[in-house]
Amino acid sequence: MIKILLLTLTLSSMVFASLKIEATYATLGDVAQKIGGDLVSVHVLGSGKYDPHFIVPKPSLLAKLRRADLLIMNGAGLELGWLPPLIQSANNAKIQNGAKGFLDISHFVSMIDVPTSVSRGFGDVHAEGNPHYTMDPYVVPDIANAIAQKLVELDTDNRATYEKNLAKFLKEWQNYLKTLDAKMVTCKDKKVIEYHELFNYFLKRYAYKSFGNIEPLPGISPSSKHTIALINTMKKNSIKIILQDVYHEKNTAAFIADKTGARVAVIPQDINSVKEADTLEHFYDTIANRICR
Amino acid sequence: MKKLISLSLLTYSALFADAELDAIRAQLEQQKLITQKLEAKLNELEHKTQTQSIKIAKIETKNTNKSASFSQNAYMPNMAFVFNMGAVSRNVNNSDYDHYAIPGFISDIDSGLPFNKDDGFNFNYAEVALNSTVDPYFDAFAIFHLSPAAFEIEEAFVKTRALPYGVQVKAGKFKSAFGRINEKHHHAWQFDSQPIIYESLFGPDAISDAGVQAQWVAPTDTYIMAGAEAFAGTNGSSFGASGQNKSLYVTYLKSSIDIGDDLSVLAGASLAHGSNYENNVTNPTTIYGLDLTLRNQFGSYSSLIWQSEFLQRNKNVTTRTDKQSGLYSELVYQYNNNWSTGIRYDTILKNDTDLTAYTVDTNNLDRYTAKIDYHPFPMSRLRLQYTYDKTKVIADERKNVQEVLLNLNIAAGAHGAHNY
Repeated sequence: MIKILLLTLTLSSMVFASLKIEATYATLGDVAQKIGGDLVSVHVLGSGKYDPHFIVPKPSLLAKLRRADLLIMNGAGLELGWLPPLIQSANNAKIQNGAKGFLDISHFVSMIDVPTSVSRGFGDVHAEGNPHYTMDPYVVPDIANAIAQKLVELDTDNRATYEKNLAKFLKEWQNYLKTLDAKMVTCKDKKVIEYHELFNYFLKRYAYKSFGNIEPLPGISPSSKHTIALINTMKKNSIKIILQDVYHEKNTAAFIADKTGARVAVIPQDINSVKEADTLEHFYDTIANRICR
Repeated sequence: MKKLISLSLLTYSALFADAELDAIRAQLEQQKLITQKLEAKLNELEHKTQTQSIKIAKIETKNTNKSASFSQNAYMPNMAFVFNMGAVSRNVNNSDYDHYAIPGFISDIDSGLPFNKDDGFNFNYAEVALNSTVDPYFDAFAIFHLSPAAFEIEEAFVKTRALPYGVQVKAGKFKSAFGRINEKHHHAWQFDSQPIIYESLFGPDAISDAGVQAQWVAPTDTYIMAGAEAFAGTNGSSFGASGQNKSLYVTYLKSSIDIGDDLSVLAGASLAHGSNYENNVTNPTTIYGLDLTLRNQFGSYSSLIWQSEFLQRNKNVTTRTDKQSGLYSELVYQYNNNWSTGIRYDTILKNDTDLTAYTVDTNNLDRYTAKIDYHPFPMSRLRLQYTYDKTKVIADERKNVQEVLLNLNIAAGAHGAHNY
């Protein structure tokens, strides 16, 4: 009898209740969708074509946050410039910092580039470390585990489904990582420069070495003096790859490429940052294809 | 199909379980007995080791934890410091500009700018902004405005964070969310001077008062927010200043839609209702406001914002109702994260009040403003602003005021979030 009741409840909850998830960025939202399956509906707040530090806090986002059961954020200061006032004005008790429906994924990831001292004199540095951990495909299982754990906490009745989805996803991801690694093994040129320290997690994972950034300090626009110094560094170390993001100006990179004969690789930082990066796998494939040619 | 499979799986497992049940029960009884015996033994042994370990622990106690016993640094509020100064060049001397009038709105004894008042250098203010989560139920905010002449509590309020049904309540001294610009602080404005219609109807501090606010966000796909506020009513420009029937009530409705990824529209309608007190008589004053903002993004750092507000005041005085209205409309183009530029037009549309005190022409009260902002970094801003102001009467003459302003604004410390 109880079993029938439970079954009915489970079935009816499948039909009616779907957990409303708001994710700050598409990569987190995509993993949440894979773990939640039909039990959740996921909406992404920040488009991949914009600088993740500078998402426009449009009032329409308040309407989304108002009804959310769970807010999944990147954390480590990446949303500091746009998310706090949205959370404050969405009038949703469920997603306040400290509430059950607030999930900061950075708490589940081991951060790199953690500064030993912090000052705005060093530019827009994040005290918590480099926040762009979604660039590392090996972090994806951490993200998936954190989300699965949170979904089970919020919706215990469907624990089995979430655990099943998680197990399936992790297995697929291990297989995917093998193919990605096989591709990355063929890359020989491991010397790059970046516009912003956006790709460090990926570079560290595949033993790349970055010799500098186009911006003199995080969040500071390029200066001619710094650019000349960078060109000299590149010539001295024969660096042939410039990693450019999709949202910064591209003139400086083109200028440096012209002076050094290096190639500009426009690297996505999120799903849908560029056309080919339309799924989680294609996102990392695109990075691999563009960095290593 | 999937559901069917999982159903049959469940039934299967139930059947098998029944068959094995008896065997398991017997095993369980045995296990229990063993456990009881083991527990008894364990208790005995534990008692012995405890008496021994106390002796050892006494010898090995070391002072390894050096934490300050009463340190509460982790609970410090977020703190930001805002600094604002300007250099002004104006074609009116300071003593005359202290007594400007805007016909029908501001008399020459009530006027006086809070910022960039004098020709030459002006230190406008240093502001300290604090915010902290009080407990799971409240957030607290305070903005202390320090100008060379005064220490002012610009805002200090608490806000709920755990009320259900999309409701939030605020209490304290705070800026009303009337219209679009009322709630924003001076350093967050797109232009350095207050819109003429705001200055005319509310005075330099706008609606900023002690009171309570309740806001509700509708559970809809489209953003709809309704709010109501009740204030002590100390705003003397449109409402009573004498201590009689001062209460002021504000209500508003705001909504926003997106048109594609890049274009968003925000519109609002507001109403402020209170009493004026003139010639020892109390009469109602009502102010209506309409606002419209269109914002188009061209990328992360580039946008075009068109923002306009229309305000009308209906003020009952003993024998008649004064109807006065005006608007401002501004267009701001953000070129990249370093540069932005903008123009603004201010005008008084209707000035149906007793203007017999003025011997000059009181029509065509307009102002034109243009600016260029340079941000070396998001926390600092240099602004060059030019104003051509045809709203002022100075020493009983209409005076077209021209002004060039260079302003420096610095926001240090806790990162304030960006404005919509």
